[in-house]
Amino acid sequence: ATEWNVSLWGKRRAFTEHVEKLAELVKEKTKGEFTLNISYGGLAKNRENLDGISIGAFEMAQFCAGYHADKNPSITVLELPFLGIDSLEKEIAASMAVYRHPAVQADLARWNATLLMPSPLPQYNLAGVGDAPRTLEDFEGLSVRATGGIGRAMETVGAVPTSMSATEVRQAMDSGVVKAVAFAPHAHMAFGTVENAAWWTTNLNPGTVNCPVVVNTDALNALSESEREALLGSVDEALDYYVNFYNEKTMKRWGPLLDEKGVERVTYDAASLVSFRERVAGPAAGEWIQEMSARGLPAKELYELVKVIADGD
Amino acid sequence: MAGHASILSDNSLLSRADRALFRGETFLALLGGLAVFSLMILAVVSVGGRNFFNQPLPGYVDWIEQIMPLIAFIGVSYCQRLDGHIRMDILVSRLKGRPLWAAELVSTLLMLLIMVLMVWGSWSHFDRSFDFNAPLWSRDSSLDIRLPIWPAKLLAPMAFSVLCLRLALHAWGYARAFLRNDREPVAVPLIEDAAAIAAKEAASVSGMDEQSGAA
Amino acid sequence: MDNIDIGLAVSAGMLVLVLIGVRVAFAAAIAGLAGLVWIFWAKKGLAGDQFFWALTVAVKTAGQVPHSKVASQALSLIPTFILIGYLAYYAGLTKALFEAAKRWVGWLPGGLGVSTVFATAGFAAVSGASVATSAVFARIAIPEMLDVGYDKKFAAGVVACAGTLASLIPPSAILVIYAIIVEQDVGALLLAGFLPGAFSALIYGALVIGLALTFKNFGPPVTGFTWGQRFASLPAAFPIFFVVAIIILFIYNPFGGDAWGTPTEGGALGAFVVFLMALGKGMRWPQLKDALLETAKLSVMIFTIIWGVLIYVRFLGFADLPGAFSEWITSLDQSPMLTLILILCAYAVLGMFMDAIGMLLLTLPVVFPAVIALNGGESVAAADSAFGMSAVGCAIWFGIIVVKMAELCLITPPIGLNCFVVAGVRPDISVHEVFKGSSPFFIADAITIAGLIAFPGIVLYLPELLLGG
Ligand code: NA
Ligand code: NA
Repeated sequence: ATEWNVSLWGKRRAFTEHVEKLAELVKEKTKGEFTLNISYGGLAKNRENLDGISIGAFEMAQFCAGYHADKNPSITVLELPFLGIDSLEKEIAASMAVYRHPAVQADLARWNATLLMPSPLPQYNLAGVGDAPRTLEDFEGLSVRATGGIGRAMETVGAVPTSMSATEVRQAMDSGVVKAVAFAPHAHMAFGTVENAAWWTTNLNPGTVNCPVVVNTDALNALSESEREALLGSVDEALDYYVNFYNEKTMKRWGPLLDEKGVERVTYDAASLVSFRERVAGPAAGEWIQEMSARGLPAKELYELVKVIADGD
Repeated sequence: MAGHASILSDNSLLSRADRALFRGETFLALLGGLAVFSLMILAVVSVGGRNFFNQPLPGYVDWIEQIMPLIAFIGVSYCQRLDGHIRMDILVSRLKGRPLWAAELVSTLLMLLIMVLMVWGSWSHFDRSFDFNAPLWSRDSSLDIRLPIWPAKLLAPMAFSVLCLRLALHAWGYARAFLRNDREPVAVPLIEDAAAIAAKEAASVSGMDEQSGAA
Repeated sequence: MDNIDIGLAVSAGMLVLVLIGVRVAFAAAIAGLAGLVWIFWAKKGLAGDQFFWALTVAVKTAGQVPHSKVASQALSLIPTFILIGYLAYYAGLTKALFEAAKRWVGWLPGGLGVSTVFATAGFAAVSGASVATSAVFARIAIPEMLDVGYDKKFAAGVVACAGTLASLIPPSAILVIYAIIVEQDVGALLLAGFLPGAFSALIYGALVIGLALTFKNFGPPVTGFTWGQRFASLPAAFPIFFVVAIIILFIYNPFGGDAWGTPTEGGALGAFVVFLMALGKGMRWPQLKDALLETAKLSVMIFTIIWGVLIYVRFLGFADLPGAFSEWITSLDQSPMLTLILILCAYAVLGMFMDAIGMLLLTLPVVFPAVIALNGGESVAAADSAFGMSAVGCAIWFGIIVVKMAELCLITPPIGLNCFVVAGVRPDISVHEVFKGSSPFFIADAITIAGLIAFPGIVLYLPELLLGG
């Protein structure tokens, strides 16, 4: 029998359903010969999950690219602002294309990690207290909890991004340390930011975070042929389950919850969005390509790989 | 319930090494104390900036996360020199002479073993965040303002190495006491009875009152 | 052997190390690392050629813990709270508080004892540590009590016991440690300590009055202060209220608006105010240097236990011992309340032999999940729970009770640290006598703990305001 330890964090939620499903499928397909023991935070801190994989302390883990951009520069392309990815399906397609790129595989191979699947998230729209930012100018001086590419996008329009762990966000917003928080809807619900929010941006769609599930390469190679088949052959089904779960269980609750809490929906007109994108997206992509090319990554190629999928149907 | 120690000294090499190392440890501990002080200043700047200038201190949390390892690790050997790491000495304190030195030697060697392994482990943790070929040598940086994290991670193996030196010195001291069957060995913390602990705690508090002139 | 057995064996090994006098932090780290090696090696079937691999993985896993756990904003409250306490000595706050308390409540039966309790409760609002608090008040309050004829056993006992209030009333280092270990909101826990601290002080005060009324020759009240004198005593003690207000306002704004910032900022600003006062009272570099060295030493002691224990906790995560213990506890065929009370009794016994912080750190990783499970799990609604509160409420409530238990161990023989310290300050009073003088206060503490169990609202009222109920 083969037992793998899987390091996740927080609690079981929409964001972890694909891993739970994968564990279920693998166990079923191998008749209990191969099991995944999922631990929520017992094996490592979320920012140390990639370290744990490289050490070999556990065999599978989830992390987000933005937690440590320097550890995984190649996949941060998926966190660039305003890529224009508008569905979970596209997010999966773009992620998988990037994960299969040899340069990306080499980047993660430094950690003895093999990318297995993404944890696709919808766009990180802002929920906030106080006056809603209705125009681009209103973002000037707005303190916002946003990490990675979204944080830098916010900076470009004059907002003040701060990053803090998700569990501290609620108190930071209640106490006025931040006025707005960029999260996906499930996180706005899970971490309670929707409770006291006055407004939510419906279509700012500044980008999202990319949180892959990786496996330890040595452990993967040590699997028997049938175990390997059971694992890799279950990824698509696990992702389908995840997308379905997210759309059905989370997004369906979101609209009514906004109404119930009396959260105002702030919608930007096309002209504002275009000017926002122009100010943020192009420069951010250019800067990213320059920095990553300097590190020896085929940055332009990766960026275009993503853009083709984003702009396709 | 130790935490208070008398350390005797004489002119032996052991005692001189003890005092020399203690000067270094005191300097490091003072850096740790100043780091605590800097937390205070940082908060004043952050709150002041946010409330009076609408300009929060960028990366306030990042800076705290950089400072904390300094506070948490750098004085670890100073604390061991003064026998400040708590323990239950209810059994050990009943021993005297050779059995006592033997027990202390075993416990010191166990600590030395774990700390040598921790130097290895924490060094490897540092090493994974360090890359000579990367910008700022950084393979891991803070979330907000992207400070390289390797200097903070390096503090752990450095402080632990100093503690290993200290523990080696204590092991030497206890081994020497055991071999020579000393009654009052130099350079190692001696378990005190309640009265001695008490007198010392009293002295430290009264010292404060008198110095401050506030009492 | 499966992982649970390894977990039990290693935990037993750790207790042996602690018993034979290995320092708690290192005993926990040794046990945790040995356990990790064992688990990884067992995974490879304990094959001889796999030992070095298991050792390497274990060492690297343990090696992550110190930095990754310690580099945290919430933990920065601990050194800050310790620094406040040291600076408060230099700011002359102790004397001022005692003087004010004497003038306001000294007329009560057992007046100086009552004054000591309330002055200590006030000082607790700037001091994060019990032992230090008892040490200062032993010098200020005991001489005055002896002068007017109080029994020296009582005088010493009241100081040793009142010092424990410092760990309930915010700022409190031990409440921060609890919050970190069980991953709860630090601000909510600090706020939660406030009413139970005040409640506990009232019970102490009532006990002193009761003793004074019962025993003749207990000690006279101190009378004769005019209202003018009473008010004149307040300005010197006023900074305490200022510091309390800062810390509270940075956690929770009672006037309905935003809090002013985070608890971390509030603690640090409080320290800054006390620092300025100490400067005003003549503190200069030599005194500041002493305070910084003492703060550094105490902080590093606490942080070493924290990372040492967290290595053990990391091992427990791999062994899944907490999960197994929770299952066992919840499967017991008795009422959850009885189980909880038995757990608290176990703490009372353990506390007789162990230091408060070490005891909590070593036991909570296993006990806390079990208590939450007893209450009905992590997402239980108050109405369906065993103790009538949500999981978050239960975490806070249990935290305050367990800290109060841990504080009780500071005044119980054979190793009640507060009693040793008081006896140390007063060479004319033996440890034995301090323990004797403390014993009536066990009754007060038992009443307090029973009260907190029976009326969880005392604990939960303030944090529910913060967390929005
Ligand atoms: Na306190
Ligand atoms: Na005790």
